[in-house]
Order: sequence, then C-alpha cells, then structure tokens
Amino acid sequence: MNEDDLELRNLTYARFVELGRAPTAAEMAVAADRDRAEVLAGWQRLHAEHALVLDLATGDITMANPFSGVATAYRVQAGGRWWYGNCAWDAFGICAALHQEGRIETYCPDCGQSIEIAVRNQHPDDASLLFHCLVPAARWWDDIVFT
Amino acid sequence: MNLFRSGEHIQRWLAGREPGATIPVEKLSELAHAWWEDRLSPRWRPHTADSNQAILDRLGLTGDFWRLPSS
Repeated sequence: MNEDDLELRNLTYARFVELGRAPTAAEMAVAADRDRAEVLAGWQRLHAEHALVLDLATGDITMANPFSGVATAYRVQAGGRWWYGNCAWDAFGICAALHQEGRIETYCPDCGQSIEIAVRNQHPDDASLLFHCLVPAARWWDDIVFT
Repeated sequence: MNLFRSGEHIQRWLAGREPGATIPVEKLSELAHAWWEDRLSPRWRPHTADSNQAILDRLGLTGDFWRLPSS
C-alpha cells in the first residue's frame, strides 16, 4: 500500500467515524482534496488489498471493517452513536476500534430471540453466548460478505 | 460469523452442514479487541498475515481451521 492510498484509507475511516456512516466518493473528494475519480481509483486499490470492501456495481463502501456501510443484524451503540457491524466479530470490533464501552443488539440466527450485550472493559456481560464461524480462515476473503 | 444462544441452537441452525469453529463470546471479545484496536489509529499500517496469525495463536485459536493464507 503506497502512502497516498494509506492517507486516503485513514481519511476515509476518520470521515466514517465523523459521519457515523460510510462517506460517499464525492464527500471524500472534498475531504481529501482529490478528484472524485482519484478517490474511486484509490478505493478500488484498497478494495484489492482488503483494506475496504466496495460494492463493485456502485463503487460505494460496503465495509470499512469492522464498520458496515449497510444495515446488518449487528447494531452497536458506542461513542454516542449507533453503528452496524458486519458480523458478531466486527460488532465487538467497533467497541475495540473506538476504544469505547458499548452495547450490541442482534438476534440468535436459529430461534430469532433477541440478544443484547453490554461490553465493559472489553468484556461482554453475558458469558453464556457462543460465537460460530462457519468458514475456515484460509477462505474468509473468498467471499467476505458471506463470511 | 454469528452469535448463538447455545450449542444446541448452532446445531439446529447448521441443519446438517459441516460445522466451523465455535468459541465462547468472551474469547470473541478478546479476539476482536486484539484484531481491531488499532484500526482508527493514524499510525495504522496493514497487518501482515504473520501478525494476524500471531493474534490467533496467542488466543489459542490454532489448527487448520484458524490457519490464514500466507500474504
């Protein structure tokens, strides 16, 4: 990753946190003082390096892990905002990235019963829950949206 | 990558599919904090496969399932 792309990546993440949602390429063009086409080209390179995940049809950010650019089953309250995590791992990751305590709301994929977890000092308040990862680590990026 | 109420719920959800790996939510939180804590740092640099593998290893997430591809 070259320094320009690293700077774009860091600015994109910073803007994501400021806005509480994924920034658009037009917004990032202003923030980074670059052309929109340069932003989109930089995002494509970051996507190829797994530093962002784009919707390739629209060029929009789908994931700036652990943050999700789209609504998911993992809602996280942290740092005075609500966020979406890409998965259970990322939901905890949002608290970790923000260095904040938080609250995760989701539901059991089997029975649909709601699950609410407070995260304090990096610990969940309900130790009875289990995390299941279906895809082996070697294949996580084969289809990161499915993973 | 989901949270479940119990192992019984995981088995039912799998519906005969090959299971992956199951870990307690406490371990997941530990993993998430180790993996993501630097994500917003202005000094962030891409993690190497080795550094990510070291996080998994340190948390006892070892074996073929947790083996990352080499970068």
